[in-house]
Amino acid sequence: MKPRQILNGGLALSASLVIFVIPFLFVLINAMKSPQEASQPDFALPERWLFWENFVTTVQTRDYALLLAYWNSTVITVGAITLLVIFGAMVGYVVQRRPSTVTRIVYMVALSGLMIPPAVVPTIWLLQSVGLFKTLNGMILIQVAYGLGFTVLLYRSFIGTIPRELDEAAIIDGAKPWQVFFKVVLPLLKPVTLTVIVVQSISIFNDFTHPLYYLPGRDNVTVQLTLYNFQSQFASQMNLLFMNILLITIPPLIVFIFFNRQIVAGMTSGAVKG
Amino acid sequence: MARVELKDLRKNFGAVEVIKGVDLTIEDGEFCVFVGPSGCGKSTLLRMISGLEEQSSGMIEIGGRDVSRAEPSERGIAMVFQNYALYPHLTVRENIGFGLSLARRPKSEIAEKVAAVAETLQLGAYLDRKPKALSGGQRQRVAIGRAIVRDPQVFLFDEPLSNLDAALRSQMRIELTELHERLGATMIYVTHDQVEAMTMADKIVVLNGGRIEQVGPPMELYQRPATPFVAGFIGSPKMNLYNGKVAEEMGCRTYGIRPEHLALSETEGRWPGTVRHVERLGADTIVHMDAPDLGPVIARTDGSRSFAQGSTVWVTPNPEFEFRY
Repeated sequence: MKPRQILNGGLALSASLVIFVIPFLFVLINAMKSPQEASQPDFALPERWLFWENFVTTVQTRDYALLLAYWNSTVITVGAITLLVIFGAMVGYVVQRRPSTVTRIVYMVALSGLMIPPAVVPTIWLLQSVGLFKTLNGMILIQVAYGLGFTVLLYRSFIGTIPRELDEAAIIDGAKPWQVFFKVVLPLLKPVTLTVIVVQSISIFNDFTHPLYYLPGRDNVTVQLTLYNFQSQFASQMNLLFMNILLITIPPLIVFIFFNRQIVAGMTSGAVKG
Repeated sequence: MARVELKDLRKNFGAVEVIKGVDLTIEDGEFCVFVGPSGCGKSTLLRMISGLEEQSSGMIEIGGRDVSRAEPSERGIAMVFQNYALYPHLTVRENIGFGLSLARRPKSEIAEKVAAVAETLQLGAYLDRKPKALSGGQRQRVAIGRAIVRDPQVFLFDEPLSNLDAALRSQMRIELTELHERLGATMIYVTHDQVEAMTMADKIVVLNGGRIEQVGPPMELYQRPATPFVAGFIGSPKMNLYNGKVAEEMGCRTYGIRPEHLALSETEGRWPGTVRHVERLGADTIVHMDAPDLGPVIARTDGSRSFAQGSTVWVTPNPEFEFRY
C-alpha cells in the first residue's frame, strides 16, 4: 500500500470510530454505572460494574414493561413487513408490467406517500371512526401505509430488470397470472425482498414518533417508548436509561448483521445470456 | 399435427399499423421461416400466432380450430425465445417440467417425460444444474426441451440462435433440422439471418413493412424473386440493383444481377469499373467496384483470382440470370 492509501484508510477508520463506535461505548459504560455515577454521564469507568443489577431492574420496571414492549414491537414489525412485502411486490409487478393510465395513477399515489407529509390528527380521527385507534392492528396498517411508497418503488425498479420473456414463457407453459407472479417472479425478487425486510424492519422496530401518536396506552407500549420509563421531568435514572437503550438496540443489530451478508443480487444471472 | 392458417391478420399499435393484412397457410409438418429486415413485423406475427400479442383483426386457425381468441396455453403451441427465458431459480429438470407441474400431472409422468426429452437432447448430465451453470448452447437446448415436453402441434422459434457464436449456430442449425425431421411437427421460425432461412426452411416467407413480399421454397426465392425487395434480400452478398438510366437501357424499371452471375475480365467486357476493395474469403473473392455506367458493383469470382485496388476491370452479366422488374 502507498502511504497515501494508508493515510486515507486511517482517516476513514477514525471517522467511523468517532461516529459509530464511541457513542456505543458511551452507552455501554454508562449502562453499568450506579445511579449516582450516571447522573452526570461521562467516559469515566464505573467504580463497580453493575451490569446484572441494572439489567434486572430495567427489565422488571413497571411490571416487565420492556418484555411487553418487545412483544408489541415484534408483532407490529412482523405484521407490517409481511403485508409490505406481499403488497409491495404485487403492486410493483402490476405497475411495471402493465403500463396504462390506471397503473400510472396508482404509481403516482404510491409515490405521493413519499412526498406528502403525513397528517397526524386526521389519521387519528380516521382510526377512531373505524375502531382501530389504540390497537396493534391499526398500528400495523399505519406502518404499511408509511412504508408502501418506498417498497413499491424498490420492487418496481427491480422487476424492471427481470426479462419479460420469463413471464411469457410461463404463460405459454400454461401459468395463470397469479402463478406467473408467485411461481416465477416472486422467487426472483429474493434480493430486493431481503433489502425491504432489513430496511423496513429496522425503521419500524425503532419507530418512536408514530407509536407515540397512534398507539397510546399502557398495554400498547413499544420498545422506543420504554425510554420514557426512566426519564421524566423530575427524576431520571440515567444508568437504567442507557441499559434500556443497549437492550433495545440489540434486535435490529442482529437483523442487520444476519441479513447484511445475504443482500446479494445476481439471482437473475442465467436468465438472459450473461 | 397441424396446419396453421392466417386470414387477413392485422395488428395496430396505437395509430400505427404494423401488420397490414397477412394471409398465409403453413402446411402440416412444414418448416416455415419468416425473414425480413428489423421492424418488418416478423416477431409480431409470431407473437400473434402464439397468443402473446392479440391481433387487431383477422383470424388464426391451428389444426382447423379457430384460436384467434384462445389463451396461449390452449393453442397447442410451444415457443423458444431469443434469450432462452429459462427460469433462473429452477433446475434444468424443473424448467423442462414446469408446464407439466402447472397442469398438475402426476410426478411419475413428469419424471418420465423429462427423462425422455433429456435423452433426445443429450441433457441427461445437466438435469440438476441451474441455468446459470450452463453454456449458451446447453441453455438453448433446455429451452427447446421445455418446448418439446409440451408435445405441441406447432413449434414457434423467435430468433433462437442469434445469441450463439458462429460455430455453435451452425451446429444448432443441423440439430434443429434433425429435430424437425424426427418430430415431424409444424415449425415456424423467425430470423433475420438468411443463411438460417435458406438452409433450414421448407418454405420462406419474406416480410417487408408488415406485408408478405413473397412465399416459396428457398431456391425458388433465390432463382425467381418476385420483387426487387426479395431479390435484394435473399442472397449474400446482395444482388446489384439499378434504377434509372441503366434500367431504361435494359427495358425495365429496375435491373438486377447477382454478384455470382457477373464475369470479370481485365481486358474486355460490358461495363468497365475501378476496383475499390477486394475481400478474399478463400473459396471466393468478392470484388467491390465503382463502374461509371452503373454505380457501385459487387462481383463474386473464384478464390484464386485477385485484383489490385484501383485497377480497371470489365464486368459482363450472364444473360440467363438477369432480373428485370
